[in-house]
Amino acid sequence: MASQHYDVIVIGGGHNGLTTAAYLARAGRKVLVLERRHVLGGAAVTEEVFPGFKYSVCSYVVSLLRPEIIRELDLPRHGLEILPLDGTFTPMPDGDYLWRVNDHAKTRREIARHSPTDAEAYDEYGKAMIEMGRFVKPILRMTPPDPTRLEPGGLRDLWSLLARFRRLPADDRYNQVQLMTMSAVDFLDQWFETDVLKATMSASGIIGTFLGVRSPGTAYVLLHHYMGEIDGAFRSWGLSRGGTGAISNAIAGAAREAGAEIRTQAPVAKILVADGRASGVVLANGDEIRARAVASSVDPNLTFVKMIGTEHLPDEFVEDIRRYKYRGSSGKVNMALDGLPSFTCLPGPGPHLRGAVSISPSIDYMERAYDQAKYGRYSRRPYIDIVLPSLTDPSVAPPGKHVMSCFVQYAPYHLKEGTWDEHREAFGDTVVNTIAEYAPNLKDLILHRQVLTPLDIEREFGLTEGNIFQGELTLEQLFFLRPAPGWAKYRTPIADLYMCGSATHPGGGIMGAPGRNAALVMLKDRQ
Amino acid sequence: MMTTKSHDVVVVGGGHNGLVAAFYLAKAGKSPLVLERRERVGGAAATEEIAPGFRAPVLAHAFGPIRPDIARDMRLESHGLSLIAPDPYLVALTPDGRAIAFSRDAAHTATSIAAFSQRDAQRYPEFQTSLMRIARLLEGLLDGPPPDIDRPSPSDLWSLAQSGRRFRALGRRDGFRLLRWMPMAAADFVAEWFETDLLQAAIAARGIHGACLGPWSAGSAAILLLAAALDPLPGGGAVTARGGPGALATALASAAESAGARIRTGATVSRIVVRNGAAAGVVLENGEEIPAAAVVSNADPRRTFLHLLDPLDLEPGFAARARNYRAPGTVAKVHLALDALPSFPALGGDAARLAGRVHIGPSIDYLERAFDASKYGAFAEEPYLDVTIPSVSDPSLAPAGKHVMSIHAQFAPYTLRGTDWNERRSTLADAVLKTLGAYAPDLNRHVLHCHVLTPLDLERDFGLTGGHIHHGEMSLDQLYTMRPILGWARYRTPIAGLFLCGGGTHPGGGITGASGRNAAREILKHVRT
Repeated sequence: MASQHYDVIVIGGGHNGLTTAAYLARAGRKVLVLERRHVLGGAAVTEEVFPGFKYSVCSYVVSLLRPEIIRELDLPRHGLEILPLDGTFTPMPDGDYLWRVNDHAKTRREIARHSPTDAEAYDEYGKAMIEMGRFVKPILRMTPPDPTRLEPGGLRDLWSLLARFRRLPADDRYNQVQLMTMSAVDFLDQWFETDVLKATMSASGIIGTFLGVRSPGTAYVLLHHYMGEIDGAFRSWGLSRGGTGAISNAIAGAAREAGAEIRTQAPVAKILVADGRASGVVLANGDEIRARAVASSVDPNLTFVKMIGTEHLPDEFVEDIRRYKYRGSSGKVNMALDGLPSFTCLPGPGPHLRGAVSISPSIDYMERAYDQAKYGRYSRRPYIDIVLPSLTDPSVAPPGKHVMSCFVQYAPYHLKEGTWDEHREAFGDTVVNTIAEYAPNLKDLILHRQVLTPLDIEREFGLTEGNIFQGELTLEQLFFLRPAPGWAKYRTPIADLYMCGSATHPGGGIMGAPGRNAALVMLKDRQ
Repeated sequence: MMTTKSHDVVVVGGGHNGLVAAFYLAKAGKSPLVLERRERVGGAAATEEIAPGFRAPVLAHAFGPIRPDIARDMRLESHGLSLIAPDPYLVALTPDGRAIAFSRDAAHTATSIAAFSQRDAQRYPEFQTSLMRIARLLEGLLDGPPPDIDRPSPSDLWSLAQSGRRFRALGRRDGFRLLRWMPMAAADFVAEWFETDLLQAAIAARGIHGACLGPWSAGSAAILLLAAALDPLPGGGAVTARGGPGALATALASAAESAGARIRTGATVSRIVVRNGAAAGVVLENGEEIPAAAVVSNADPRRTFLHLLDPLDLEPGFAARARNYRAPGTVAKVHLALDALPSFPALGGDAARLAGRVHIGPSIDYLERAFDASKYGAFAEEPYLDVTIPSVSDPSLAPAGKHVMSIHAQFAPYTLRGTDWNERRSTLADAVLKTLGAYAPDLNRHVLHCHVLTPLDLERDFGLTGGHIHHGEMSLDQLYTMRPILGWARYRTPIAGLFLCGGGTHPGGGITGASGRNAAREILKHVRT
């Protein structure tokens, strides 16, 4: 087989791999992206699973796509259009509800209905979180320093971080350390008294983690919601027209325009390593493709254990990679509906269905869902984040019909009894039954149901143990510890092999930051 | 109103930290007056009679150890302190009659572990060494105040540089281990080393001891490592004093008094007097006012700021933070007077192995389940227990041939839902006895008397807000420069002349005297003669 030659091969055509490819191609590199599946996007993908209905199969909202990436890659010109996703509607079992929207005055009135003091605190809270977001945002762009080495660059970065922290007003400093260390519930307890408000806000702290709302370390994720909003309007918090796959397609468009070559249905079996350097890849069909460098956007388990082989790697590194925690904890249920669900507490269609509908009625409910998962069962009454994208973007469903996307937690990858293949449909039923407790007509509307367990997410999307962030976002796996101590700068123990996916700083979500940061490090290494 | 003569320093509360602080202040030429509400000083270091002739360590049943320099400075041995350090110091039991005995010599412990897992037995010595290396680094942080973030002093910078140097001396491997381990869950931490359930649980338990955390809660590894900094033995040592922890209190009080401190018991401080933004003395419950140039509070931060001060004396922002300081107690104590030593089949009748602590909590899941109930305001039906029978090595604590047992039980939340502790006291005792009965089947037959301290009792009898034995949760957000409150971690408070010296300050709970000593040093910088 004749071998072709590239400057860089990017393994995986997810949004991060494509971002890396786009930046490298724009810098004049000859880039090849290899995607295993028939469609690009990784977990940011739109598929017509049922005729006429386009599901955002995995990831379903755009939260943190970095504005500099949108700008630098000129993504709107490549078809990116973000539509506003307005508000969160939380139905409650007692027939009441909590409905927060972007209109601040409206939300205040709604919260005041539950507690006037909480309505006051909500303003203060919003202001404080925006300040916190300002502090954290620059960290997303940073290449993490190595604290065990005295390198001028790393020391400068650490020092500037510390200096910025010291310049914060005392109140912000206090909030910042609390956010980094506390549980979402403990943090919110300091501001609010309404249980349902705290429950539904704390939900954002557990998404994609194997932690409960009372687990320390979950408060920090509350920030993410406010970081999106600082960049103004809805530019980075909403749905993308055509489903989340449209984001990947826009990035792919930018990459292709800059000269990158992208192949689908091209699964990589091995990374070629000679004399401690990566020199290309071998495809599953045996084809060898050579390149000066390889960037892997797949997770460390696939990259190092499957594609390289531990025998080529230092023992300590292998130990660290094996210890890296995935522990998928969520599932996804996508449905094609014949009409709109009607919630008992606020019947009929209406603007409350245009945002997220959150099944998170109380803190105890959330915590009990977690307790079951700790011992290897999926939650019998799970936390569910529901979006009906077809209300905002009619292009994803036939007229009058709808797509319903349900993000479900907790669904632990490791079940104590039975396998996910045995429990898949029962899990799907649990989700439908849970929602039907609040919207009884749901069961009569379902035309098609797709259930993704963590096992399915692993099989279909190559995410080890079904972790949607390519590894848990816990403190011991963040920043200079992601994915492995000493290897957080997108480089690896194999020369010319780089990591550019969510398993690197700053982690998962449709952010693009790992892909961009990695590309910049690669360009710096090969000036 | 009666007014007593003015003192240069009044110490509110004669707990072990208050006594240590008083000693150092007196030694530096001050004449501190210690005011203790109870009839005995010592706070959590207490031995009390639970039934005629039976004396039990009613709060902490193993301590410290007291920081070595403090024990030396106070010459505690010459004040009558005689320490007992049993070996094996800890035995962990399974309900089906197996045991791991932890000895100071890692090789001995490894032999005991080998009956469960050869692999774990092989890894154990390396674990003990690595834990000791990291503990030694953290130990360096215990003996001084946390740095001032706003205006680091030259000595702050010096000690930071020292810490940095020690961190680098750890090497990359242990350096990264420390950074990774600190924010972890204790369950993950032990799983990195061991596969045996019982071994994992016995070591991880230290991360939840006295805390409102389960082994799966992030940050529990930090508590474990901090405890290791005080005493690096895996699972924690079992040091106590002849005569129980109360004997330590007596020695501390004697040392403080010989240095020139005065101690008054039965003197309840009801209020700290503030004039012109500065502490001016205290008022006792009987109305007596004791003027002082400085007031040092050994009470916990919530009691100090929210109960002993007039709310108007604190700036509202600070008062809000003080209210947000978390002290959710989870510990209950049960003490038993026994007519004979109960038999633990797992220990095969070897009484010497009962001289240390007994760990009941055979797996991580068991410990986590014990924690689960507390989140919903109920106590665990199968609690995690840490048990000692101090009369095994100190027969003076019980009548001849008889024994006294101390049981630390978790999780028993301070706030019960739908009921209260007065109603549930005996149900709690039943749950504890039933759980322990599974390991010592003849226990119930030997019980002459059962004495229970619920979290509510700990608050009422010992003044521990929320019944929290560490004067507040030792979570990541309430440690080091954040203990008790970010910006106020150096034993000072927003009120001039008012200082803190208890477990609610760095380095936190546990009977070590470190908070009292560190506080005294800071106070001396600020109080003029």
